[in-house]
Parts: sequence; structure tokens; C-alpha cells
Amino acid sequence: MKKMIALLSILAMLLTVLSVPAMADEEPIRIGTIYAMSGGKAAIGENILRGIDFAVKEINEKGGVNGRMLEVVRGDHAGDPAQGKSEAERLITQEHVDVMMGCHMSTVTEIVAQVCTQYGVPMITAISTLDRLSDPDHEAMDYFFRLCPLNSVYVKDMLEYLKDSAEQTGEEVKTIAIFTDRAAIGQELIRCVELYKDEYGFDLVATVDYTSDATDLSAQVLALKQANPDAILCDSYIGDATLFVQTLKAQNYTPKMIVAKANGFTDPAFIGNLANVANGVASVVEFNPDLINGQEINEEFKAEYGVNMNGHSAESYTVVWIFKTAIEAAGTTDGAAVRDAIAALDIQGEFPGGRKIVLPYDRIKFEDYDLAGEPHYRDNIYSSVAIAQVQDGEWKTVWPFDFTDTKILYPAPLQ
Amino acid sequence: MDIFLQACVNGLLMGGFYSLMGMGQNVIFGVMKIVNFCHGEMLMVGMYLTYVLSTTFGLDPYLCVPFVAVLMFMLGAVIQHTLITPSLGTKSFTNLLFLTVGLGLLLSNGALVIFGSEYRTIPTAYSQTYISLGPVNVALPRLISFCVLVVISVVLFAFLKYTTTGKQIRAVSQNPVGAEVVGINARRIYILTYGIGTALAGVAGALLTGFYTIFPTAGASFGFRALIVVVVGGLGSIPGAFFAGIFLGLLETMVALFISPSYSDLIVFITFIVILVVRQMIIIRRK
Repeated sequence: MKKMIALLSILAMLLTVLSVPAMADEEPIRIGTIYAMSGGKAAIGENILRGIDFAVKEINEKGGVNGRMLEVVRGDHAGDPAQGKSEAERLITQEHVDVMMGCHMSTVTEIVAQVCTQYGVPMITAISTLDRLSDPDHEAMDYFFRLCPLNSVYVKDMLEYLKDSAEQTGEEVKTIAIFTDRAAIGQELIRCVELYKDEYGFDLVATVDYTSDATDLSAQVLALKQANPDAILCDSYIGDATLFVQTLKAQNYTPKMIVAKANGFTDPAFIGNLANVANGVASVVEFNPDLINGQEINEEFKAEYGVNMNGHSAESYTVVWIFKTAIEAAGTTDGAAVRDAIAALDIQGEFPGGRKIVLPYDRIKFEDYDLAGEPHYRDNIYSSVAIAQVQDGEWKTVWPFDFTDTKILYPAPLQ
Repeated sequence: MDIFLQACVNGLLMGGFYSLMGMGQNVIFGVMKIVNFCHGEMLMVGMYLTYVLSTTFGLDPYLCVPFVAVLMFMLGAVIQHTLITPSLGTKSFTNLLFLTVGLGLLLSNGALVIFGSEYRTIPTAYSQTYISLGPVNVALPRLISFCVLVVISVVLFAFLKYTTTGKQIRAVSQNPVGAEVVGINARRIYILTYGIGTALAGVAGALLTGFYTIFPTAGASFGFRALIVVVVGGLGSIPGAFFAGIFLGLLETMVALFISPSYSDLIVFITFIVILVVRQMIIIRRK
């Protein structure tokens, strides 16, 4: 009996050894992801990972990449850059991931991108918008690419929308005002508006700020009312965003256009709290279920997860497809070759063997370019955001005009 | 001119809340000579209580006010009896400071665990109703809240001035030893005053829910303003706190109107410091 067991175990060992070369062809391509899966930002991580899983499933069902399946290896940065760094090292040295995606917070992305560059692992961020990630200080981070628009592009698109809106509203926007938090998000908005307002010929008539979680915003609203701009640009957290719109009503002031830089205004609680009073408020969105290119995928996504696809899931979904296309073009998973393939990629309209780009733009190409006089490296220069407006208590895409049939509600009714 | 009138009304309506918070703080300070650092969090608890009452039983937020007042009174009484009274014996200010600050942290983090970090509101049929009084516009919930809190202030004042219990409270605040000598149970008065103080904060929270969002740290900015009100209005003085609250509300909106909204907090705090310094100088000169 003992002999039998010994014999069997030797046989088993032999089989394992022998089967390794046979499995090598089938070995999956490993995508490392580093997002917050615990801590206060976990909900955001969940949406991102859904987008990734959805793309991986879709690609694997169609036969994978170069005959190999995709596999996702998840890392958790819990919102902490130091943990992001150690997770990146773990995924690269122990899990041997071929490519990397991340992160939600730009500060974590920065450090993970440095680790990836050091080990020669190509990385694409789907959602880190901080301008500085691609500035001259980060020129040497040459394994790192960015799909999403930069913060300043968000603001540029808000101004672009104001300019284009005249086509539908019949009234040209000449004066603008900023209403925002005194914290970093607000300073960023003010900086970007200052950067582009002259290019669009807008006159900034008022900059009104407040401290987060304000007890009262009536003074701020009165200041805006006095300045009476054609449009108000804002960035606020959810509590202040809600109070702002309520105070507009209370002070009997209905600005013709309100355009927000997402954040609190696109929080699900915003429409929930305000109901009809939110009608007419517009905001930047990276994706909206009614986008012409996004309707189909949203239906399938919703059937799978029971929720609408959001900007984060749509952008992460797209990054997986970029990796697929680049690895196929490179014909290998070698880091340098894949990096060169990503750099050379030019996707127009749709992915080979896949869908149309589901985001509000129709081309993806990573390039070095100048943005407001400063060189930037390896960003998707065609990326843009969409503008959605609350109409009948729902977010409806209104811009870019080519991506929607819905017209702008003007002036904003706020009721 | 219209804008000026509007700003006055806005300041008045907001000031009412600062008054209510300041009076609650002052009742407690007057009697026990302790600063209640979790006063803002008590307002937050009042908000969530209103939220729970109105979502579970479908009560109108304003109908919740009496229930919130009673429940908050009980909460305050329990805290006083089990935590604060024993600490009073140590005569250590730091002890009570840490106790109330810690209690505040416990409450706001407790709310975070129970309710999450979402910003909630209690929508009512009239929450988006606005009334025009000549050139001035007022949100109906703000107006109702203001009326309710004026009534509460008057009742509180009358209670302290004319009832036996009110007189006992004032006696303890003026001279605790003397009060005990004439047979007043100081411990009972402590429980009563801390209960009243918390109930006032809770009621302020309940009244806010008509037009303000509910979140775990909602009390912080109100709690801080309550401290300013107490200092400006005079420690322990109920009418002082009432007028100081209104003054603070008006100051905020006036600075925002005539200087800039960006400076309103800054100037409020500078005024606060100036008043503190001037008062100190007057006290020194008197001596």
C-alpha cells in the first residue's frame, strides 16, 4: 500500500512537471489593477472594477488576446500612496502582471506609475485627471499613459460648451462667474478658468467662494445675483451643491446657465434631494447612459450588474480594450514592445473586433503635445467630456451635439 | 436697497439658529461653568433623530420637534448623570474638555457608522415653497423655523425667570454652595440644565432639517458658532446669547455683502478676537 502511494505521488509529480510546458501557451495575460477596495473610497473602486471585469469577460468570450485569456489581478491601495507603492511592487514581482491599470487618486497613480516605469510594465490610467501627471517633471515616466481628459480639459470643455450653446439657445454667453469651494477643488477651477477665459472671450465678472459644509450660502448667492453673469461655473461637494441650488430658489435668483464640474452635482443624492428644483443644472460627465455610443453597452452592463455604467466604469472598460489592441499589435507581452504599441496606437471610431468607443469622443491616440503653453506627455489628445443637464429629474446628455439628440433646456428653469 | 433688505432677512433667519445654539451652550455654562464641546454634535444627533422619526413614522419634520426635544433631554440627562457629574467632582477643566470633545467624536463617528457619509434631506410638500414679502424672498421652512425658535427662546427665558425650577437653576448658577444650603438639590439641577442644553441643540437640529442637508459632521460649524455667540453675548447670559446670535448672523451677511463673501468668516473671527481682547482690557481696568 505504501509503495502504491509513493508510486502514485511520483506519477502525480511527473504529471505536474510535464503539464507545465503544455499549459504555457494557455497562460493568461495578467492585468494588474490598483484601486481602493477598502476604506472610504471603496464604492468608487467597485464601479471601476465592474468596467474592467465587463471588458475582460467580453474579450475572453471572443477568444481572448492572441489566443490567451485575460486575467485580472487586484491590488488594494485603500487610498494610501505608500500602500499603492507596495501593492504595485507585489503585483509586478510576485504576481508577474503584464500590464497595469490604476488608480483612483492621482497621488497614488503617480507613485504606482513610477514603480511601473522602473520595472518596465506598461500602465494606463483610466481616470486620474490631475494635470501634473503628464507634465515635464514626469516626462521620464515613459511607461505611463493617460486615457481620460485632464482637469484643465474638463474646464476647457465647459467653456467650449458655453460657446457652442449659442447655437441652440440663440443667446451668446459673454459674462461668466465662478461659484466654488475655497478648498483645493475650487482653486483648481479658478486656475483653469483663468487659463482659458481669454481664448473664449469670456468676461469673468465674479469669483464667489465659501468654506466647505457652509451653514448658509445666501450671501454668496446675493453676490452672484448682483454680478448677474450669463453663466455660472461651479464645483462643490454634495452638501454645498444642494444648499446652493436651494438658496438660489430662496433668493429668487434663476441664473440662465449653471455648469458644474461634476463632483457633488453628479452625486445620486443631488437629484434625490432637490427633485424638480435641480432641472436645468448642467454638469460635466465622462459618460452618460443616453450617449449615442453608450446606450447599447449600458443595457448589457445594467443586465449584468443591475446599475447604470458610469464614467469610471466606461473609461476602465475602454482601457482594457486598449491593452488588448496594443498586445495584439505587439504580438507579445514584452513590456517595451507593448509600450511602443500603445504609443503607436490610433483608434478611430471603433476597436478592431470590438465596439465603437463608448465615450464622448471618437478617436484615441496617445501623444506628446502642448497644453496652455506647457508640454505634456503621453495623454490621449482626443479625449473630451460630455455635458449633461438635469431634465425631468434625469441627467440627459446635451453636448457634444454629435453624441446626443437632446436639446439644451434654456434658460434653466430650476423647478 | 432690495439686496440690503434681503441680506438683513437672511442674516436674521440664520442668526436665529446661532442664538438657539448659543443659548443651549449658555444654560450649561451658566450652571456648571463647563464648555460643552459636543454641542454641535448634539445638533447633528437632533437632525438624525428627526430624519429617523420622519422616515419611519412619516411625521412632518416640524411635528418631530417635541419628540426630539424630549428624547434629546433624556440623552442629555443620562450623559450628565453617568459621565459629567462624576467628572465635575475632579474640578479638572482638562478632564471635562476631553470628555466632551471625546463624546463629540464618538457621536459624529457613530453617525458615520450607522448612517454612512451620504448627505440626506427630508423632502416635504412645502420644502421648495418660497414667499415674497415685498422685495424680500423667504423660503417657507426657514420662516417657520425662525418663528418656532423665537417662541422657544421666549419660553426658555420665562421658564428661567418665573418658575420655581427656573429660579433654582439660576440660584445654582449664581452660588452653588448657597443653593445647596437652602435645600436645592444641585445634582438634580445639573441633570436638568444639561438636559435642557442638549434639547435646545437637538431642537435647533430638527428645525434645520427643513432646508439643510443632514450629514455626520453637520454640527461642527454650528457648534463653533455657538462658542462665538457665548463669548460675545456674555458667558451665562441667556438674552445676551440670543442677541449675540442674531448679531453674528447679520455680521456674516453684511460683511459678505459690503466687503466680499470670501472674507465673511475671516472678519467674523477677527471681530470675535477683538471683542475678547477689549473685554479682557475692561475687566483688568475695573480691577
